[in-house]
Amino acid sequence: MVEPLLSVRNLTATFERHGAPARVVNGISFDIAPGEAVGFVGESGCGKSVTARAILRLAPEGSSIAWGGHILFRGQDLLRLDDAAMTDIRGRHIAMVFQDPMSSLNPVMSVGAQIDDMLIRHAGLSRRAARRRAIELLDLVGIREPASRADDHPHQFSGGMRQRVLIAIAVSCQPALLIADEPTTALDVTVQAQILRLLMRLRRELGMALMLITHDFGVIAGMVERVHVMQHGAIVETGAVDPLFAAPRHAYTRALLAAVPRLDTTAGPA
Amino acid sequence: MIRMVAVRLLLTAPILLGVSIVAFVLMRALPGDFAQASAGTSTISAEALDTIRRSLGLDLPMWQQYLGWLGAALSGDLGVSFTLRTPVASEIFPRLAVTAELTLIAGLMAGLMGVTTGLLSARLRGMTDWVVRGWNSLLLAVPNFVIATLIVLLFGLYFPSVGIFNYVAFARDPSGNIASLLLPALSLALTVSVTVSENTRAAVLEVSSQDYVMVAKSKGLRPRAILRDYLVRNALTPVVTVTGLQLAALLGGSILIETIFTIPGMGQYLFDSIASRDYPAIQAIVLVASTIVLLMNVLVDIAYARVDARVSYD
Ligand SMILES: Nc1ncnc2c1ncn2[C@@H]1O[C@H](COP(=O)(O)OP(=O)(O)OP(=O)(O)O)[C@@H](O)[C@H]1O
Ligand SMILES: [Mg+2]
Repeated sequence: MVEPLLSVRNLTATFERHGAPARVVNGISFDIAPGEAVGFVGESGCGKSVTARAILRLAPEGSSIAWGGHILFRGQDLLRLDDAAMTDIRGRHIAMVFQDPMSSLNPVMSVGAQIDDMLIRHAGLSRRAARRRAIELLDLVGIREPASRADDHPHQFSGGMRQRVLIAIAVSCQPALLIADEPTTALDVTVQAQILRLLMRLRRELGMALMLITHDFGVIAGMVERVHVMQHGAIVETGAVDPLFAAPRHAYTRALLAAVPRLDTTAGPA
Repeated sequence: MIRMVAVRLLLTAPILLGVSIVAFVLMRALPGDFAQASAGTSTISAEALDTIRRSLGLDLPMWQQYLGWLGAALSGDLGVSFTLRTPVASEIFPRLAVTAELTLIAGLMAGLMGVTTGLLSARLRGMTDWVVRGWNSLLLAVPNFVIATLIVLLFGLYFPSVGIFNYVAFARDPSGNIASLLLPALSLALTVSVTVSENTRAAVLEVSSQDYVMVAKSKGLRPRAILRDYLVRNALTPVVTVTGLQLAALLGGSILIETIFTIPGMGQYLFDSIASRDYPAIQAIVLVASTIVLLMNVLVDIAYARVDARVSYD
């Protein structure tokens, strides 16, 4: 077996709510191999986002959160890294795409500038070189006329286009791991499929590992090799997609599967 | 954008007309007139008063006086001061420069203090937040003329060497001039800084919890870049607006402050002119001041559009 890229051991996350701590992630362990695509499924509030953000040590503003356990990235424990070193990892080695493209872009910066700043920060490019690369990236994610669109501001883009821009930002430094936290939940059904195809294509072309979070089994099918099913801050079942779909062992997984209208055919018995 | 500015500028004309009519009528509604005011407490015959009034055209019907004034004003003639017998324009513009300077210094002080305290308060929270907010509530409870009076008392009693009433003309000694305006500007700025500070604080807090700030963190940008490009630039939009509008309010505040510190600006001029019922002077001051306030509003809108690309006025 290959050395895992990411190895999460016994991760806990606890919110300090007015003195009363609330543990929302309860000792989670999983591995992601280089280039592997792993899915995380679970109902709303089960701790998927908190887990994903813990990997980048991100917490919602104004909340106080404490993490426990280990998050080993290439053997290095991210939870024990100093802030500056962690900042170097973010975006450069591990990047993230968030749920709501409408609110994820800085409204007062052009979309090009929001790719530039990342390239200048991590790839050490000059402003002009960064813009050239930003235009290539916009082209890569399927934005038409990228050279002129780079100067546009987020409000001039539709939701699907904004998610493409956010994906371009996330992959701009060719991270080893891309975390996508419900990247299509806020989008129209037709656009959802396009965004998922884009993610799959980029993963292949850039050789990234993908951590895909969703509450929708339909999204996972055909996209990932392995799925972790989460409930109440813990992983309750893990397996390769098709066997898990065919014969879920855990009652909760069965309930989740039953709740999803089965549109796809790939999820049938293998 | 250019169209918006043109439209806004065109709209100022009817507003100015309205303001000038209101000022004209209100002035004459005040008890007494220039003839009586100039007589002071000495008794003066009714005939003498009438002669003065006739010589100034004050015996004409009010609409006729107004039209006369309007015609002259439109051709750029603001009239002749009753008291000084010199063209009002030659008196008003040097004083306007003084007030503008005072307002500008006060505006810079308020902006600097407000943005700094608001930013610290929102970013550091905790103790700093408490101190800043306590200080702000204290300042808010004290009107600027009280602050000015306190400053005068404080320096008058304990630091008489500072010389608070020694206004120095800019042409004579530029740095001395600025120094002589610092305390008056401070008493104007403190109250305004509260508005700027509270708005900055609220805006930064609001922006901090936006998704794009977490995205910025996930990109690995340095905290300083996030503060500058994501937090401050977004928080600036509402702050620019309130600061600009507050600058207009500063103009009003300067009437009292200039009087207290004996600074020969527009405020003091207005105060003196009202006391002596110098109608042409009052009329001109009101006109110039409202023009400035209106222009400032247009400038605020332009600044607003410059910092926030989403705002388009078309
Ligand atoms: N800022 C916060 N302060 C306190 N508790 C929080 C905070 N954010 C999330 N939680 C709690 O943590 C738990 C897990 O939240 P999380 O956002 O990870 O759920 P999720 O699985 O991503 O759900 P969804 O599918 O709705 O995104 C929830 O019970 C939630 O109430
Ligand atoms: Mg979530």
